[in-house]
Order: sequence, then C-alpha cells, then structure tokens
Amino acid sequence: MLKLGQLNIFLDNLDSPSDIDRELIINSYDINGYGTKLGELKLADKTPVYEYHEKNGHVVEFAGFLMPTWYKGILPECAAVRNSVGMFDVSHMGRMYVSGKDAETFLNYLTPNNVTDLKQFQGHYSVLCNEKGTIVDDIIITRYDQELFLVVFNASNKKKDIAWITEKTKRFNVKLENISDKVAMFAVQGPKARATIQKISKEEVSKIARFGCGWLTIEGLKCSASGTGYTGEDGLEVYIYDAPSNDPWRAMKVWNAILTAGKEFNIEPCGLGSRDVLRLEAGMCLYGNDIDETTTPLEARISWVIKLDKGDFIGKDALAKQKAEGVKRVRVGMKVLDRGIPRAGYEVLKNGKSIGKVTSGTLSPLLGYGIATGYVPKEYSKEGEKVEIKIRDKAVGAEVVKVPFYDTSKYGWQRKA
Amino acid sequence: MKVGDYEYQEGLYYTKEHEWLKVEGDKGRIGMCDYAQKQLHEIVFVDLPKVGAKTTQMESMGTVESVKAVADVFAPASGEVIEVNTKLSNNPELLNSSPYGDGWIAIIKPSNINQELKALMDANAYAEFLKTVSEKK
Repeated sequence: MLKLGQLNIFLDNLDSPSDIDRELIINSYDINGYGTKLGELKLADKTPVYEYHEKNGHVVEFAGFLMPTWYKGILPECAAVRNSVGMFDVSHMGRMYVSGKDAETFLNYLTPNNVTDLKQFQGHYSVLCNEKGTIVDDIIITRYDQELFLVVFNASNKKKDIAWITEKTKRFNVKLENISDKVAMFAVQGPKARATIQKISKEEVSKIARFGCGWLTIEGLKCSASGTGYTGEDGLEVYIYDAPSNDPWRAMKVWNAILTAGKEFNIEPCGLGSRDVLRLEAGMCLYGNDIDETTTPLEARISWVIKLDKGDFIGKDALAKQKAEGVKRVRVGMKVLDRGIPRAGYEVLKNGKSIGKVTSGTLSPLLGYGIATGYVPKEYSKEGEKVEIKIRDKAVGAEVVKVPFYDTSKYGWQRKA
Repeated sequence: MKVGDYEYQEGLYYTKEHEWLKVEGDKGRIGMCDYAQKQLHEIVFVDLPKVGAKTTQMESMGTVESVKAVADVFAPASGEVIEVNTKLSNNPELLNSSPYGDGWIAIIKPSNINQELKALMDANAYAEFLKTVSEKK
C-alpha cells in the first residue's frame, strides 16, 4: 500500500546530509512521511519539546529533526487554526543574529529587500538570492535594535544558508551568531492566537504589529514574539531563550502554558501536515517545492521583496534585467474544478499540451477542492484561464485563480472580525 | 482479531500491500486493511475503478489519498470489476471507520482465483506478517 522502498534510500542517505540528500529527504517526506513512522533515527535532532511530540504526535524525520506530522489529525488541526487557534513547534528552523556596525549595510547587500526601511521591532519577508537572481532561501529579517537583526530561515537549508551568509560577510564588520539550537520557537496561529498569548503575558501583545516583534514575559521567562507565521492567519511566533533540547524545561514550560491558556479556545497542537496545507491555502511558497535555485522572486511572484532603487545587492543585475525583459513563466494558483487532488510534480496542460508542473498541491480542507501552485508561461497566467492538471492518467480541469485561495474577508489575518 | 493496534479478520486473504480479498461464491470482494488505513489516516479521496475494468493481481486498480499522501490499491486478484462501492466517493472516511465492512472498495469476478489465492496470505500468515511490519516500526 505504501511505497516503503523509498524510505530505505532516505535512511541510507541520512549519514551525509548534502544538498542532494536533503532533496531525497524532502521527497520521502512528501510521499511517505505522513503515513509512516520511521522509528529511531540516530542522526535526527530533537527540538526541546520533542518529548511532547513523542507522547502525543505522529513523529517523522524532517530536515534532520524528529517532528510531528500530526497529533489529532491534519483536518482538525487545520480547522483549529482557521477558526480559533493552533500551535506549531518550529524550533527546528534556522535562526541567526546579525549584529555589528555594518549589520544593516551587510543585510542590504545580502538580500534584495530594503533593510533600511525597517524600524526597531519591525521585520519583513525577504530572500537570499545568488548572482543569477535565483533563490537560495526565503527568510524573515527583523530589526531588534539599530545594529541587531534576527534572520529566520528554513530548517532544510540551515547548513547551506549559514555557509552562504558567512562567506558573504568578508568585507563587512558584522558578527553572526547561530542561535538555532539555543532558542525554542512556537508559532501560535489563528484568530484567537493573540488572545491566548495575552492571557499569560504581562505585556500588551496587541502592540506587536504584523511582521513586528516585541519582548514578552511568559511564566517568568524572558521571551520575544513576532507577528509572523506560515498559515495566512494572524498570530505570533514566540521565542524562548536559553532553551536547548538538552535543557528543555523553559521551552516545555512555555509550551504547556500556551496549551493551557488556549484551552478555552480549543487550541490544538499542530504538526507539519497542517502547516503545509495552511500555507498552501494562503498561497505561500515552500522552499524546495515552489522556489529554489532555478526560480527568481519575479517568477515566484514575490517581487515585493525586490527593491531595485536601493544600493547594490547580490543578484541585482540579473533581477533588473529580468524585470526589464519581462518574465517568461510565473507561479500561479490553480483550483481543481473536478474531482482529484493535485500533487507536486503533476503536469499542467493546456489543450492537452504540457505547459508546466505543479510545485505544491493538496486538497484544501477549508474549501473542499483540490488546490495547487505551479509555474506556467506568462500567457496562461491570468485569472480565469482554464488549464488541466494531469492527475495520474486523467487530465482534470482546473482554473487559474489568485492566492490566497480563500476569501480574505472571511479567513486569514485580514478577515473582517 | 488484532496484532498490536491493527485489526484483521478470519476468512480473508491478504496481500503484502495490505489489501484484503473475501471470496463470496464466484465473486471476490476487495478492500483495504486496517493497517493501511491507519498508516494513511484521514482518507479524503478515493479514485475507484470503473465497473467493467479489468484487474491484474498486484497491479494498481485505484488510489486512496489522505490530505498529504497517495497510496495505490493493488488488486489482490485478477478479474473484472462488477461492482464498486460508490459510497466512498462522498464518504471516503468509511475506509477509516470500517475498512473490513462499509469501507469495501470493489467486487470483482475473478478469472484465475484458484491459482492466485496461492500468492495471498490467509489470516494466520497475515497476522505473522503484521507482527514483522509493526515490529520494524
């Protein structure tokens, strides 16, 4: 029933997590991970709240970490976040402080977005681009102080990003500090997320803007929180300091405090499964699926991260050129009009001819139909364009739609009450 | 009957891919085992074979999908599909709640059943197989 053969490849390759092996890990996670418990994997790391996952969740290996794919199930977890509140352990993510006199100048060179625009306690979505203008990773940069920034990046790119960023510091007076293994991080998401955190925090959480951040005291512990997430909903990502996995009590204390505070809102602990569904419903990119070193921010339609009017940055020439010439293909949202669930890798057809591939696909539990993102030639990218998605041997009708896939007046952080 | 968390039933024949076959006179009823539905969790979509379609033993006759995973249904026996459980189209969760009952997938008219049963496991053999599968975990 389940193609277990692929898991063997994956286990064999855990010893040497180079980029290629990492790809294999992601593939096996997509195909088999949700249904398959892998047992003890020596090299996989544990987050500081692993014990909770082990006891309550369905744990698999992801990006070198033992992570829950679900606890109660993907469907109730998605519903909790869309309707009330859910909490994800995202302590596996890469996090790095960039500090020093040149921190701002350095980040402006490293990334295409304008870091100078960030006031204290403000953050933005951005990317790391290479000279070709393609995407090394997507990241969030937050200014904590004039000369102190936090950079958050994907768990699956941790080694690559740290090497990339370190190499680029040569000309700059900056200090990098990888805090990934010392700081726990919980994404509390949904319309009741702030109300949940407010119950256990002395500080006024409403002061934390979307993409902003602030210091919080929870259970007597110094924490910070940012108005970010990966679900499309309002929410906070809470950072618990001095919380490595070999000394997890601070992380556990805050995790449990949030679960207790959220009880009145029927909070659910949520795993990677619902996280992936929720981000796709919101139309957000998943690195390795929707964006990678073959795609540019212009093609991925995250062009707001590119500020060509600032000084030089890595990839600027390539992006300026592509912008001037126009992109040939773009990432679009597609809604399946008939029965069938689109999946990454499935072909997108127009009049029977292949025009692109699905990069992310799922059934949307919220909408009740299949949704996908993928790259198609510019001429087929307008809203309402009819295409087909080849689901196994059938060409199933689909339509290009805008993202988020849901009605933003009813769901997501911009919803009207 | 159970091995660990996983139910199985007397009188059925089983594949190593966790499908079951129940011989009912000159017909064969096909479904997915409890182990498989528990691995997939929350089944949300079933692509059923059509009536009249031919099945070949251990070749895919349809797919079952959870939100994040796709699994083939391998035919436990060769033959022709004479009935499909159309209830699954609107209620795929029947595969979770009743894998050996209301969640059956199709009924076939087998073409070579005497020979092909030899390639399947009976309940005792499947119980042993389930032990090895669940121990690996």
